[in-house]
Amino acid sequence: MRGASLVRALHDLLGPAKVLGTHDELLIYEYDGAVDTATPDAVALPETTADVSALARFCHEHAVPIVPRGAGTGLSGGAIPVEGGVVVSFARMARILEIDPENLRAVVQPGVVNLHLSTATAPYGLHFVPDPSSQKACTLGGNVAENSGGPHTLAYGVTTNHVTGLEIVLSDGSVVRLGGKAIEDEGYDLVGTFVGSEGTLGIVTEITVKLTPLPEDKRTLMAAFPTMDEASETVSSIIAAGIVPSAIEMMDQLATQAVEASVSAGYPLDAGGILLVEVDGARDGLDDVREKIEAICRAHDASTIRVAATALERERLWAGRKGAFAAMGRLSPDYYVQDGVIPRTRLPEILRLVKESGERHGVRIANVFHAGDGNIHPLIMFDLRNGPDELERAKETSIEILTACVEAGGSLTGEHGVGMEKNCYMPLQFAPADLAAMRRVKDAFDPAGLANPGKVFPTPGRCREFSLAARR
Amino acid sequence: MRATQDRVAPADAGECAAILAQAGAEGRMVGIGGGLTKHYLGDAASLDIELRTTSIAGIVDHVPADLTVTVAAGTRFADLRAALARAGQFLPIDTPHADDATIGGVIAANANGFWRARYGGVRDLLIGTRVALTDGTVIRSGGRVVKNVAGYDLNKLFVGSFGTLGVIVEATFKVLPIPAAEAGLIARFGTVSDAFNAAAIIARAPARAEAVVVERQPDGWDLVVSARGDDKTVARAVADARRAAGSSAESAAVGDRLVLARELPARAVEGALVRAALPLASQTAFAEAAARRDTFRELVADASSAVALPACVASHSKPTGTRVAIALIIPSVRRHASASTASSLSSSRVRPYSATASTTASTNEIIVSTIETRMSGTCCPMLLSFSATSRGATNCVVFLRIFSMSVGSK
Repeated sequence: MRGASLVRALHDLLGPAKVLGTHDELLIYEYDGAVDTATPDAVALPETTADVSALARFCHEHAVPIVPRGAGTGLSGGAIPVEGGVVVSFARMARILEIDPENLRAVVQPGVVNLHLSTATAPYGLHFVPDPSSQKACTLGGNVAENSGGPHTLAYGVTTNHVTGLEIVLSDGSVVRLGGKAIEDEGYDLVGTFVGSEGTLGIVTEITVKLTPLPEDKRTLMAAFPTMDEASETVSSIIAAGIVPSAIEMMDQLATQAVEASVSAGYPLDAGGILLVEVDGARDGLDDVREKIEAICRAHDASTIRVAATALERERLWAGRKGAFAAMGRLSPDYYVQDGVIPRTRLPEILRLVKESGERHGVRIANVFHAGDGNIHPLIMFDLRNGPDELERAKETSIEILTACVEAGGSLTGEHGVGMEKNCYMPLQFAPADLAAMRRVKDAFDPAGLANPGKVFPTPGRCREFSLAARR
Repeated sequence: MRATQDRVAPADAGECAAILAQAGAEGRMVGIGGGLTKHYLGDAASLDIELRTTSIAGIVDHVPADLTVTVAAGTRFADLRAALARAGQFLPIDTPHADDATIGGVIAANANGFWRARYGGVRDLLIGTRVALTDGTVIRSGGRVVKNVAGYDLNKLFVGSFGTLGVIVEATFKVLPIPAAEAGLIARFGTVSDAFNAAAIIARAPARAEAVVVERQPDGWDLVVSARGDDKTVARAVADARRAAGSSAESAAVGDRLVLARELPARAVEGALVRAALPLASQTAFAEAAARRDTFRELVADASSAVALPACVASHSKPTGTRVAIALIIPSVRRHASASTASSLSSSRVRPYSATASTTASTNEIIVSTIETRMSGTCCPMLLSFSATSRGATNCVVFLRIFSMSVGSK
């Protein structure tokens, strides 16, 4: 069932107030933070788990794909209904159900905005650690689906390390609770299996997360280097010195210039590479660590080192990093962002390859990324007004970069997810047997194949072109 | 333990997968073992082949500046520890039986110690696996990088899977630099609530202790704290802990003490052991409930992660009939725990190594039934089909005796 008859049926099922179905309404849901688009047949706005369950049961009976959507900030097309069907928006399931400081847990609905949770728990001296750059907008349901990261994952881990319980609705409508407030559960770790499954195993309707005491203090410093090579080597030297900062972020000159024009974070415009390093924890040892980091930066020819003296200065340094993607609008009307990961010692070579690849394809690339994790984010710029050719060249460049990441022992994606953007590339990283095992997990949760179809796994139709290209 | 017909120790992943495939084709049951250090968890399912991973050993790759290590699963934990120490690094898991346990066994049994709140548990530190399946394939999940969301995180499925999904042949972990300084502290409390209240404060303190352990003593409750890091942070951690613990707190080298506490499961081989993962604030009520049962004269809790291990050891109980006693005690502890903290414990799970020790259910059936309940009977039997050659409704091939979920009683 599709189109207008589906919309009518959903009106009957959920009531018209919970369904969108006109052309104009649906257009708003055809895109997310990435570049792919597809229009849903209908949009549902459930208010309870029972709504989601009824919807899933209906979709199961009528073979309609079901695609969950949080704030639509995703960067791999995860919320795009590529095979049509119903998009499920969690805009009305956005309540913090419980803050439980005694147990260091919170229970939330999936539509809660990431930053709102940490704001709500701050009075208890607690926060939710994963802090994606989109944290002012992105939702916790989306974070669970994508296993989101952020700058502070280096020391504290990503979303999967901070989720202990889930309520999920399987694609046949059954409601299942996994885990709870305890650190582990009997049987398989299905919470860990579900986190990062991108909506392809079911829909999350409630999340139990760990809350972590806020660090007593922080030291944040910005160091500017003549070239990206020196900045990358500094990262390796910091780690080699036995220091694991809470964050090490890197930015190249092009990105720095865009950021400065946009938020004036105080980054030197003439630097070839910028590092933002943060250490946190008990106040006592922090200055010793900061001094060691400063010395390492100087040994690698840092031209400027600036230490944030106040919370305001720290926020300003971070505003540059967190606003970097948005600032790209100053350089180009559009960009294609990649999310490859390499072992961190391979940073200098992969950055050289990114540069060469961009030059060869005639596209400009800015780099803003989580250097401590080896998670690169080349922002490949294009302008569709110059014709579709530019996007094609951007995509060719990104395939080249991702292939190099995989060959260096890394991954196609560190935090943005596979979605419909990289599913065709999965065979670069995984052998047929690896994908077959994942497929068995998919079949166990979603035998009908209705949970966010066309994502994660290569699809024969859309990926044929890529496999032909790879064969050449 | 029933004598097995065949013992095999494959030399590599391929050979291992071939053995599994053949066993599957012939319908023979395979038990998987590494160092056999956790054989006391075993249930007496019938077993045709005992497969040891000990020949699949060695460090595969260690790039210190990447803070990762890839290791063959049959490698002894002690050997990995020594290799990492030469580079000034460590894998931050204080697993029980560390001298003889293998990496694969630590993963399969999800054998965490007391450091989980500080560094993460096995599930958090494991970033890549290679696993031989019963269809004869060897699959790879995750990788050698610390952030990776490409495809499903199958690593998580293998942690604590007790070999029911395949044989882990290789693993990649995050590692850390060995901290420069360490210190410890012991305090004695008269009541269990005082001990856990102090532990809760210490577990939340900014200098982040490495282990916060509460241990039952004949005449009270001991709180054992260890801290590692740079000099100043460790000094701060101990000072904060001393303030929280009060007048009885004394500085002490706690290494040996923590090893003894960690090895409680082995001492309970002839007795009984329950492993309960709880909400943090339920620990006091749970420990009180366990302490009221004569049988559980021992209790060790990782108070910062809320994993409690009440146990009776051989000297406390009759060597015969223990199994029946355990079957009676476990539900009773469960009842006590939930009755005394009705609301806060409602979402917790009391996790015995086996709920059906005295019944005829096989380990495999226990796992299947647990998960069937949870997943409405549809999802998880299919997950078990991961191990390919299903031989009937609840009888999916890989069976693990040596690392199975069962009460320690032979």
